[in-house]
Amino acid sequence: MAQHKPLFLVITGDGINCERETAAAFIHAGGDARIMHVNDLLAAPEKLTAYDGMAIPGGFSFGDELGSGQILALKIRYRLGDAFARFIARKKPVIGICNGFQVLVKLGLLPFPDAPGRLCALAPNAHGGFMNRWTSLLPQNSHCIWTAGIDAPLRLPVRHGEGRIVFAEGRAEALHAQLMQNGQIPFCYDTDINGSYANIAALCDPAGYVLGLMPHPEAFMHAETAPTAQTQQPGDGFILFDNVIRHLQGQEKIREQRIA
Amino acid sequence: MGKSMIPAQRIEISERSASASLTARIRQAQEFFGIRLTGIDEIKVYKITGAPLPPAAVLQEVFADPVLQNLHTAPDTDTARSAYVAEVSFRPGVTDNAARAAEMALSLTGHQTRVASSSLYMLHGDITKQDAEKLVQEMLANPLIQKIDVITYADFAATARFDNVQLPTVQLAAAHALFTTVDLHVPDAALEKLSADRCLALSLSEMKHIRDFYARPETTASRTAARLPAAPTDVEIEILAQSWSEHCKHKIFAADIEYTGPDGQTRRISSLYKSFIKRATADVKKDRNLDWLVSVFSDNAGIVRFDDNIDLCIKVETHNSPSALDPYGGALTGILGVNRDILGAGLGAKPIANTDVFCFAPPHMPQKDRAGDMPQGPKNPRQILEGVHKGVEDGGNKSGIPTINGAFFFDDDYAGKPLVFVGTVGVMPHKLPDGRASAEKTIHAGDVVVMTGGAIGADGIHGATFSSLAMDENAPATAVQIGDPLTQKTMTDFLLEARDRGLYRAITDNGAGGLSSSVGEMAQMSGGAMLDLARCPVKYPGLSPWELMISESQERMTLAVPPEHLDALLALAARRGVAASAIGTFTNDGQLHVEYEGKTVAHLPLDFIHDSLPALQLPAVWDKPRARSAWRGGPRVDVRQIPPANITDTLLHLLGTPNITSKEKWVRAYDHEVQAATHVKPFGGLHADGPNDAGVIWLYPHGGARKHTAVIGCGMAPRVSLHDPYLMAQYAVDEAVRNVVAAGGDPDMLCLLDNFCWPDPVQSTKNPDGDYKMGQLVRTCEGLYDICRAYGAPLVSGKDSMKNDFRGLDKSGHTVTISVLPTLMVTAMARGIAGIACGSDFKSAGDAIYLIGAPAASFCASEYAAYFKVDQGAPLPLDMPAAMRTYRHIHAALQSGLLQSLHDVSDGGILCAVAESMIGGRMGAELYDMDMLTAFGEAPARFIASIAPDNTQAFELSMAGTPFTRLGTVTGNAVLVCGDGRLDLHRIVSAWQKGF
Repeated sequence: MAQHKPLFLVITGDGINCERETAAAFIHAGGDARIMHVNDLLAAPEKLTAYDGMAIPGGFSFGDELGSGQILALKIRYRLGDAFARFIARKKPVIGICNGFQVLVKLGLLPFPDAPGRLCALAPNAHGGFMNRWTSLLPQNSHCIWTAGIDAPLRLPVRHGEGRIVFAEGRAEALHAQLMQNGQIPFCYDTDINGSYANIAALCDPAGYVLGLMPHPEAFMHAETAPTAQTQQPGDGFILFDNVIRHLQGQEKIREQRIA
Repeated sequence: MGKSMIPAQRIEISERSASASLTARIRQAQEFFGIRLTGIDEIKVYKITGAPLPPAAVLQEVFADPVLQNLHTAPDTDTARSAYVAEVSFRPGVTDNAARAAEMALSLTGHQTRVASSSLYMLHGDITKQDAEKLVQEMLANPLIQKIDVITYADFAATARFDNVQLPTVQLAAAHALFTTVDLHVPDAALEKLSADRCLALSLSEMKHIRDFYARPETTASRTAARLPAAPTDVEIEILAQSWSEHCKHKIFAADIEYTGPDGQTRRISSLYKSFIKRATADVKKDRNLDWLVSVFSDNAGIVRFDDNIDLCIKVETHNSPSALDPYGGALTGILGVNRDILGAGLGAKPIANTDVFCFAPPHMPQKDRAGDMPQGPKNPRQILEGVHKGVEDGGNKSGIPTINGAFFFDDDYAGKPLVFVGTVGVMPHKLPDGRASAEKTIHAGDVVVMTGGAIGADGIHGATFSSLAMDENAPATAVQIGDPLTQKTMTDFLLEARDRGLYRAITDNGAGGLSSSVGEMAQMSGGAMLDLARCPVKYPGLSPWELMISESQERMTLAVPPEHLDALLALAARRGVAASAIGTFTNDGQLHVEYEGKTVAHLPLDFIHDSLPALQLPAVWDKPRARSAWRGGPRVDVRQIPPANITDTLLHLLGTPNITSKEKWVRAYDHEVQAATHVKPFGGLHADGPNDAGVIWLYPHGGARKHTAVIGCGMAPRVSLHDPYLMAQYAVDEAVRNVVAAGGDPDMLCLLDNFCWPDPVQSTKNPDGDYKMGQLVRTCEGLYDICRAYGAPLVSGKDSMKNDFRGLDKSGHTVTISVLPTLMVTAMARGIAGIACGSDFKSAGDAIYLIGAPAASFCASEYAAYFKVDQGAPLPLDMPAAMRTYRHIHAALQSGLLQSLHDVSDGGILCAVAESMIGGRMGAELYDMDMLTAFGEAPARFIASIAPDNTQAFELSMAGTPFTRLGTVTGNAVLVCGDGRLDLHRIVSAWQKGF
């Protein structure tokens, strides 16, 4: 029997600009993906139920005005609201990459979806500007389904101006300790690249299904986009997409076995 | 003009911690202006009007991140007391992106509002009001587009700024005439004055040409039928002025030239464009029987076929004058403009890469005590550098287009006019889903003219016309346009979707000349067009028809839409949040017919607009290199620096010059990898800080074959112009070609773009040596033609910018003219093979280091000569067939994997290239002794390569017929040894990474 291909929704529009490579990443890893303009989704939020997972890609939604990710987050909160909450409550995997991570944080979905008030922010880089460079990501103890089984550093590029994790005043240490203990910090940078608290590069929700990260895994699916010439396939970003697809296929299999 | 103010609410957003970018300003205030600040804080201000105003909770949710920011709706008692406070707001009519975004955000929460944004800068330190004003004007704001109010903190605190809040608004004369007529039956002097006063930039003979046209009986008859007066309307005069502008018509490249060359012989050249540029491509195409030129010189961009599924489009533009006045806005607008050229190529291509080349005065200019020599008007070099760089950064990053290749070139002669070259590569499928060829536009009579993107304002209506209104704070700022990447990105997404659904038949961008140019040009395809300007969306009321017709408001494209698809197109636009309006119809009556609310305001035959203008007659001479009259601020009057006697000290000096030093800090601010197809990055090697020679895009993610890449590089040699412009052209082409060959490009599958930026070549009393500059241009074109033929490389697109002179006063009040070096910037794009580029960095100890190409070099126009002010000698000629053989050998060697590293030799010669390869690989090198000329002399067509010991024999065999020289060996110890000289690698690294 042919393996079920999990179907991912990749939203676009309003200045999002990594939708094509993000959709291609899911397809390359054996899934399926549709790119949908955010306005089309908002016009018919029930369409969400047809998808097994969702990605908010990188880009400059609304030109970063009022803070990166802010207006797209407002749009999702006010216009998609319940449908998105139900999607997450059903443990459908969601990934927010770069600007998508910023959106998830502004939505208050990361790190704790039920926390009153905002606990963290992605602030302007410590050096004050945008940067495009490759980083080495150290996997941390985490139960995030996207990063399961990663035991060696990943090389991925960052391309952002606002990627510095800052916690709410006076609560940084406690929050950091709690997130570590919960396994909600899947990756840290190996060096301080932007002033991010404890070099945090990624956060996931307590359930491990919603992942936000500043580096771009979709940008390194093939050896051809490696930072320096390499022939070994695939690129380091592949494992995240492969993980989530296998996770969903595994769930499918369990369901089938139960039915059988 | 009166004021009209609307009551509103004010909110202020302050940051909880200091911003790094503002901290940098403190350093710059000291460095550039000698003003000591102890701190700067920025507070963002929004003025909001709406009924009802949004409640406090919504304002907090929309405007402030609670972790990072505080929101104030009343004076904040916690704000640290500063010396002065500056409020910087946009002048009416200037695009206020933050405000538009805020309106959109508030509307999501259910509140319809109008918003204006501004910034408060709190300046701390023991400074005067003049200091504060200077810093704000020079570093934090642009008086051309922004209003600046500097007050003391006491005055600021005493102002009830949260009460009686008013939003600025554009007010134009309520009722405008439909048109005015222009009387051309006046004396010559009055015609010239008319041209100057209206900023028409038409010459006397062109004005007379118009007058003669209107005097013809058939013109009168046709005007009577159109119910227009016999005299031209202002709309018509403005259409003609735009269509015949140098920018649109390229009159100098189309001129009849009487040229006297170095042999003393005089000959006539009818159109440089036809005689050299277009002919080069036609002859190369014939010589080589090329089948991959899809569209050249006829569209908004050149289109080539390097792949079985997709075509590539490429275009490079300049945006020089706007970048001198407003470096950020000028460069941003330039980038977005050239992106639209790609979007308007064929039926529309998707931009996949940007390039940028800057020619600026050195960043540390002026030297101490020489500030008075700098020109009045242009911003200082450092500000131009920073502003342009930021504009290119935002233009690419916010549009999701990787900036993959470029160059910085510094010379004092760019102090009057910076050159900003911006390029874009696009991709389109051979065929669209409905089977139409993507590269082919058609327009049928009856198709609807649709304008999409932004609305029309007074921005960009021939710049200076509105300067007389500049004192009125309600007058719209027109001189500078500010691009908005977001509007353009959403429009781009919409248009590519509409293209794939087959909703339009032709597309072009609204750039220079606005609708006048876009519709005027498209009308030629159907044979006419009819517009009703009242149907154009406007930013504010009160614009007269001639303004609507020529406004250069940004982010607009014009489409030809079959009537049966109009509803679907407009509906799709609405769903995507993109403005689109039907504003007229394409016709076939041979006329450009313009109405406003059904009343005719212009009626012009297309053939008069496009084909009637007689060619300019221009003298040109190039006899020999002539000494330039150096402007006072130039280095030619400086004391010479004594060159060090030894090679290693010399190397350390040269590695730190602005032209050679690492630009990594600047380049990493550009997103060069978005779209996930960048195959060779700008920097490579062990620590990803060694320079690569060209940008490479993998075509597979864009629908191309897995093995294919597009390799994009650039080249120029402006200093060679002063010695021989013929060679300058060839050095420029050669550098572009060798850069792409070094990065895996196929020299036999390669196209070129020519971008000329020239000092005024039209002789006149104020420009007495115009004929010589024209002669330099002729000779450059000759050199360009010859090398295109020799390299078999077709030109596929190009552009020229012809008045790059500053004529005015320096800051001490002396009259000064500063002309740019005659500059030809060449872009090369080749098809490459994925995986064959080896990088410029040395890889392994024991590898043999070779010079590929002839060892002969010259100090002529070299970085060594520019730095040490030594005698230059003559430039070396380029053996073009030999160079082409070298490139083919190298391409073959890369494919067989014979090379460990490959780096182009350019500024600073062989030793600087070796040093860069050492830096990339953090390896040492042991070189045979060489003299200064060999080490630092420059010449075209050369590379530094390293070869594994096992492969040296195969390499040498593979280079049969190409000169190569063994220079030494890569070593594992971190030292450069050259004869007796020794230099630690870390000193080389720090000298090169000094930056600016």
